[in-house]
Amino acid sequence: MVLPYLIYVRTCPSCGDGLCRVRVCTHENKLAGCVVCDECESVWTDPTMTEKFTEGVDSYTASCPDCGRSLWDDTSHWADIQEVCLLGWYDKVKVART
Amino acid sequence: MTRRSPQNPKVIAGALKLLPARWAIAILVAAIAYVLLQPKLNQWFGWNLPSAAAMLGQETPAASKSSPSQKANQPPISKPASSNSPSPGKSDDVASNKTSASKPSNPERSPQKSSQSDGKDSTTTKSSSSAQPGSTAKTGSTANSSSNHGSTEPEDLKLRFLKPVGKDRYESPSGLIYAPGSEEGHRLKHIERHLADQPNRPGSHGVFDGDMQAFLAAIDDGYKRARGHAKGTKQREEEGMTVFEAPFDKPIGYLGGSEGARKGKPKLKRLRIVVRDKNLITAFPIQ
Repeated sequence: MVLPYLIYVRTCPSCGDGLCRVRVCTHENKLAGCVVCDECESVWTDPTMTEKFTEGVDSYTASCPDCGRSLWDDTSHWADIQEVCLLGWYDKVKVART
Repeated sequence: MTRRSPQNPKVIAGALKLLPARWAIAILVAAIAYVLLQPKLNQWFGWNLPSAAAMLGQETPAASKSSPSQKANQPPISKPASSNSPSPGKSDDVASNKTSASKPSNPERSPQKSSQSDGKDSTTTKSSSSAQPGSTAKTGSTANSSSNHGSTEPEDLKLRFLKPVGKDRYESPSGLIYAPGSEEGHRLKHIERHLADQPNRPGSHGVFDGDMQAFLAAIDDGYKRARGHAKGTKQREEEGMTVFEAPFDKPIGYLGGSEGARKGKPKLKRLRIVVRDKNLITAFPIQ
């Protein structure tokens, strides 16, 4: 589903061009959130972006810090505003209309 | 190709009888090695060694193809890729590869891009019209081959510039691997995002001023130079990934996104390439 807005934390400190966006994994009906650069696919565990997550399926695939599955699987998607609120991250993100 | 007379096998057999067994085995091994390596050598070094079938005169002129006819249709892209000189001047060729004709017909374009293709096409048309005289023929031949042979098909593109190295995995001449992955499903699709502007995107968005073939060639050229620590290039390690940067003599794109729009879309002359091992993650022009 394409959202009419884009939720992001900041420009990626690793690649400099991507946006660090909130991605949620709903594997086993559990809502797990993380921050992913939509360009270089670096993953951080939360919007403070202090802890980078580099494990998972393999080193070439952005993976969920919670379950380790690929963040491009059907069980993951970019978070909507409701999900960002559920994660308690709303005050840490910016919302841009697309 | 010279066709051998029917008596030739007998003559060869007679000659073999005269040869010591050791020599006969050595010749046989060399022949097998040639048959196995000939296509690879042609591919790797751009040589034009004849195939065994062609040497025995068993290949029809149409099949013995590739050399003249195919080369004529090949886009100029293969040149910078196969050439070993890592001069930044190659960006000239890259810039001249822009063909507006080849762009719209790419079915792999991601949906979010399609709505923005108009702006990109106008840029492309502008730049191809400003191509230098020397590059006009190249551009023309690319356009012709595109229209006559459907060479803008993603499959064609992959097979022409990239070597298949596994299921949906491709290797560039400089050794970069384009594999499945990313939100778009494949790295090739992912980097296509940088062929068009996303004016509503927050922050910056590097846009490559050319088509996919030229982009692949520029990435390969930049990667090769940066890996070789050529002048002006940069390389840094970032927890599991390597970020390369390579300068180009001429602008290769412009700054898009909302920041680009605010700054008046300045031209960009550097390319940033992010890889994990040899797997390309992304690449885009930067300031």
